[in-house]
Order: sequence, then C-alpha cells, then structure tokens
Amino acid sequence: MVAATRGLDRGRTEEDAVRAAFDQDLARWIEVQQAAGLDFFSDGLLSWQDLFRPLVEGLGPKPPEELVRWFDTNTFFRAPELSTVDQPRAFAATPMPAVPSPRVVTLPSPYTFSRAAHNATDRNRLMQELAERLLRPAMRTAVAAGAELIHLEEPWLTYDGIDDADWKPFAAAVASMTSGVGATIILHCYFGDAAPHLKRLMDLPVSGLGVDLVETDIAALEKGWADKSLLIGCLNGRSSVVEPLEATVELARHIADTVQPRDLYLSSNCELQYLPTGVAEQKVRRLGEVAHKAKELVPV
Amino acid sequence: MSAVLDHKPLLTHEIGSLDKPAWRVKAYAGQPLADREFDEASTWGQRLQVPEYQRLVELLHHAPFDKEKRSEIQRWSSLYALRLEESAGLDVVYDGEQQRTEMYDWAVSHTNGFERRGSVRAFDNKYYSKAAVVGPISLRAPFHNAEFSYLVSVADAELKVPVTGAYTIADWSFDERYDTATDLRGPAADRRRERKAARRDFVLEVARNMIRPNLMALIELGARWIQVDEPGASTEPDELDLFVDSFNASVEGLNAMFSTHLCFSDYNLFFPAIERMTHCRQFAVGFANYDSRELGTSDAARPGYQVIKKFRDLPDQPALGLGVLDIHSDFIESPELVRDRILYAVKVFGDPLRIHVTPDCGLRTRSWQVAYEKLRNMTAGVELARKDLGLTQPR
Repeated sequence: MVAATRGLDRGRTEEDAVRAAFDQDLARWIEVQQAAGLDFFSDGLLSWQDLFRPLVEGLGPKPPEELVRWFDTNTFFRAPELSTVDQPRAFAATPMPAVPSPRVVTLPSPYTFSRAAHNATDRNRLMQELAERLLRPAMRTAVAAGAELIHLEEPWLTYDGIDDADWKPFAAAVASMTSGVGATIILHCYFGDAAPHLKRLMDLPVSGLGVDLVETDIAALEKGWADKSLLIGCLNGRSSVVEPLEATVELARHIADTVQPRDLYLSSNCELQYLPTGVAEQKVRRLGEVAHKAKELVPV
Repeated sequence: MSAVLDHKPLLTHEIGSLDKPAWRVKAYAGQPLADREFDEASTWGQRLQVPEYQRLVELLHHAPFDKEKRSEIQRWSSLYALRLEESAGLDVVYDGEQQRTEMYDWAVSHTNGFERRGSVRAFDNKYYSKAAVVGPISLRAPFHNAEFSYLVSVADAELKVPVTGAYTIADWSFDERYDTATDLRGPAADRRRERKAARRDFVLEVARNMIRPNLMALIELGARWIQVDEPGASTEPDELDLFVDSFNASVEGLNAMFSTHLCFSDYNLFFPAIERMTHCRQFAVGFANYDSRELGTSDAARPGYQVIKKFRDLPDQPALGLGVLDIHSDFIESPELVRDRILYAVKVFGDPLRIHVTPDCGLRTRSWQVAYEKLRNMTAGVELARKDLGLTQPR
C-alpha cells in the first residue's frame, strides 16, 4: 500500500491498484492477527491517514490542512478545522466486512479530539459536541455492524495533562457518548504516566481503562478494579525490540494476581503505526504468545 | 559564502529535497519508461535550458541501464534540479538531493552500525524508511562527496550542502544497541532515567562518528555553507539541550558557515536551548504552514510568524531563514503574500540582512510544476519586498 499510495499521489498509479494493495494488506493483517490467536480483530485503521481524518471529512469550514506533530513521534496529523459540530453526523466507523468477529473498533477520545482541533475557541463545548454528535453515532454504527469492543484513544490526557476544571466536562462528554452503547468501551491513556489520573479515570463511565506500562508503574495500579476492566499496554509500540515472552507473561500474571481487575486485556502500549509492518507483525505474534501463556497461568 | 552573498539582504535559497523525476526513478529501478517520461525529460530540459538535454533523452531510450549509466542518469537528475532552482532565481542552490535515496536512509545506509527495518508513515500517504542502530557507529565513506564534487563542476550559483543532523538521525532510528530494556516490571522512573542516558550516548555518537567526519570531508572538498537539517530536533521537548550539544559536537572548530533547518514544531520550545548554538549562523525555519493566506503585515495578519521575535533576540544575532512557502500544499503563494511575510519579518527584525527567504522545508512532496511555480513566486515576492524596502541589488 505504501508504494501504491505514493504512486497515486504522484500520478504514477491508478485508484484500482491502491484498492487492490489495500485489500491485500488488510487480508495479510487479519491473517497475522488470526495466526497470533488474538481475541479481538481490527482493520488496523489501514485506510486512515490519521486518527481524525475520516471522521472530520466534510465537517468544519475547510478540510484539515495544518500538519501537527503527533506528540513526540515523527508522525504528523492534519489538525481538524472545526470549532463546533452543528448536527449529529452518522459517520460510518463500520468494521470492514473482511474483519472477522469479534471485532474491535478504534476511535479518538473526545478530550484528545477537542484538544487536537485547530482554532477551537471553547474546547470543552467542542468536546461535548464531538462526543454527542460525532463519536456517539460512530460508536452506534460500529456496534450495529458487529463491533464488540470500542477502543478510545486518549494520549492527550497522559502526555499533556488535563486541568482540574476540565475533568467534569470530560466526564460528561464520555457519559453522553457511552450510555446505552452495547459494547465494551476501553479508554486507553498512553504516551504518559496514567498514575496521577487514575483515581478520576476510575470514575468515568467506561467499561475499562488502558494504561501504558512503558510510562506507568505497575505499582501505581493498586487495587479497586473489581468493577473495571484493565487494558495493559505491555508491548512497546515504539520500539523495534521485541519483548521477551517469559518476562511479559510474568508481568501479566503479576498484574492479574495483584490488581485483580474485572477483566484483563493485553495490548501494545500505543498504536503500532510507528513500527514497520514486519516488526509490527512480530509484536502481534508475541502478544498472542503472551496471552496464550498467561491464560494458562491465570484463571479467566 | 562569497562576500557578495554574505551581505545580500533577503538572500534566497531552497531547503533541500525536490521530488525525483519519474524518468530518474523508473530508470534507476529498471522499470520501462513510457512516452510521458521521455516527454517530461524533454520538456523540462527545454524549459530549464539544460545544456545538451537531448543527450539525456537519447540515453533514456537505451535501457537496460548498467551501474555506470544509472549514475549518469542520477547526475542528469541533479543537473535538472540545480537548473530548476537557478532558473527560479534562487541565490543559493543545491540539487534537490537527487542522488540520495532520502535524507535519513542515505545517511544510515552509508554508515556502519545500522540495519534497515522498514517504512513508517510520516503523514498522509508519505512514509520514510527506518533503521535500527545495532552496533558501533562509524562512517563507511563520506557520503556527500560525489554529489558535491559534481555540483561544484556544473553550478552557476552558490552552493549550500544540506546534511541530515545527528539528533534527527538518532530520533528517526530504532535503538537496539543502547536502550534495549524491555522488562516493564520495575519502576518506570528507572526506565526513564536509563532511556535518557542511552539516548544521549546514541545521539552524541552519531554526531562524533558519523556527521562530523562527513562534514570534514565536505569542507576538504571546498564546501563553504553546510546546512544541518534537524526536522526531528524538537520531537522530545526535554531533549533540546541534547540537540544543541549534538550540533555543537558536529561542527565545533570546523571552518565553514553552518546553519540549521527546523520545521513543523512548536518553535517556542527551542528557547533558550538554542542560544548555545554559537556556531549556527542561520536558522532556516518553516512558518508558512501555520500562517494565514491573507495579505497584510500586521501581527494579526501573520499568525504563523509571531515566534520570529524570539529568533531576533538570539544573542549571536544569526540570520533567520524565513519559511514563506507551505510545502505540504499545492497552493501557490502569490508574490504579494510572500512579500508581506517578508515585510513583516523585516519589520520585526529591523534588519533585512538578517532575513533570508526560503520554503518551509524541502519541496519533495510537490510536483516539479508546483515546486517551480512556488519558487518563482518566492523570488518574485522577494523583488517586491526589496522594492518596498528601497533595497538595491548588490553588485
């Protein structure tokens, strides 16, 4: 797909070739996840140019243009050009039919979304509108199309922080998008230490929380997870070094024993888009191995 | 630089890369060329008045190309790019990095200690290759000498050599040598401390063992202006001192004019760290991407340029390479828009000698047609600004 999209941009390839390359890459990605024995399957957002682009197409006064660094990575996104969302919008965050069940769908958290937007004047109002009018319909569409797990990406909170005054609007935004949605919803906070925010995160109306264990102490997780699921980012999505099996299994087992969350999900600490395909595939295979072995040791 | 250019207000130059023509890409990759590629070589040869360009067109008709022929085609590509920049009216030029694979890949593939890992998305559908450092770093051979020697022999304008900087090389690499800890069971604070120390060792080894010897080789060949490209410099806000240390370790004591290129960042982060870059005589910085497209020279009209006041106040008073072209868009900035961006900067700096005029970054993601139109409007905008400021051309 890299070669095909590059060729298309430069007028050296046709749309058909890009579609064929996409189908081929998606099939390969699904195959890797299946071979690894993962419990949920994703389309890998292979056709998304950044986390916001398909969601904001057609919204706002003009298409997103300004390129902004995505936190401390060498990947850039085009900042959404919107300060308001006037009407509900039925964006189809539909899992690709080719993706087998059970499916996971990834969407941006409303806090990150509202902070990434360009020139927004009242970001908390925008956050509420995004939650109600864009993300909630997107989640419902996804669930109707068979998504069982919704993965909300929330790096802004853990990387840049959040003001005290913004917690209440954030909680309200999350509540308005999640109530009545028939799927497990995980808010995944990464690119930073989740420990200082855990107490308030636990009060959010989501099924579970995701933490980045590269940045967060496992000791900070403590107890109190009887009603919440925990997703641990236990493979580093920004490092090409593949984590050793035994130590990672031991990490998962230790957390299962000591934290005792309602459900424990294993994942990478962040998106795998910062890794070349070959390395990302190795990480997925390792994730499958870790999960397989951990399930033998931990009652599930 | 020459004495004339040293004192030329609103000096113009490109930043680095240009797209590679399809005839160069396909010929090099051993793919058959279509009529449109022959036409492209012919049309641009004519338009840019490339001497004897018909020889290239003739050569392209004689596939397959052996190694020598492929090198010859690369040199033609360099010559075309050089003429494009000269024809657009730039004061200082290079070859759009036509002989390099890409700014990062070219450097690491000529250096011991790295292994390729694959491509990663930068933005939209643009990807870059990533390698991992796996062993001790050393220069296999100076990797810009051949292109520089060739360009010296054919350039009419002054040359500025773009060289990828140490911090960016390290930042864009995976680290499989210094920072290999994977056990997440210990305290996160310990991991952060170890990661920081490992990163410092990595960056400074790149500066000392890869960049510096390469710069020395270029200076030996006669390079007078070397631009150290650091698009990754502000990636980690808490590593700006390390970026500065790596720049200083790369250039300290070497006899040339050094500048650096920074782009697509919150530039406020660079202060005060870059005050210690005493050997950096120019900072070439992208601003147009953040600016309005409306005309005007007030603060309100130029939102993308508010941070330039900080560059003005740097203690060693370096020049500012003012990015006036958005390289991520096909929008062609009008000469009047370029003029107003320049006039605003001159008003802030109070000295047109400290303002150089450039695109935001390399133009490699734009077609040659778009790049050429943008550059021509840039030099036209400079002329308008000169007129407004009552500046005469130095002889």
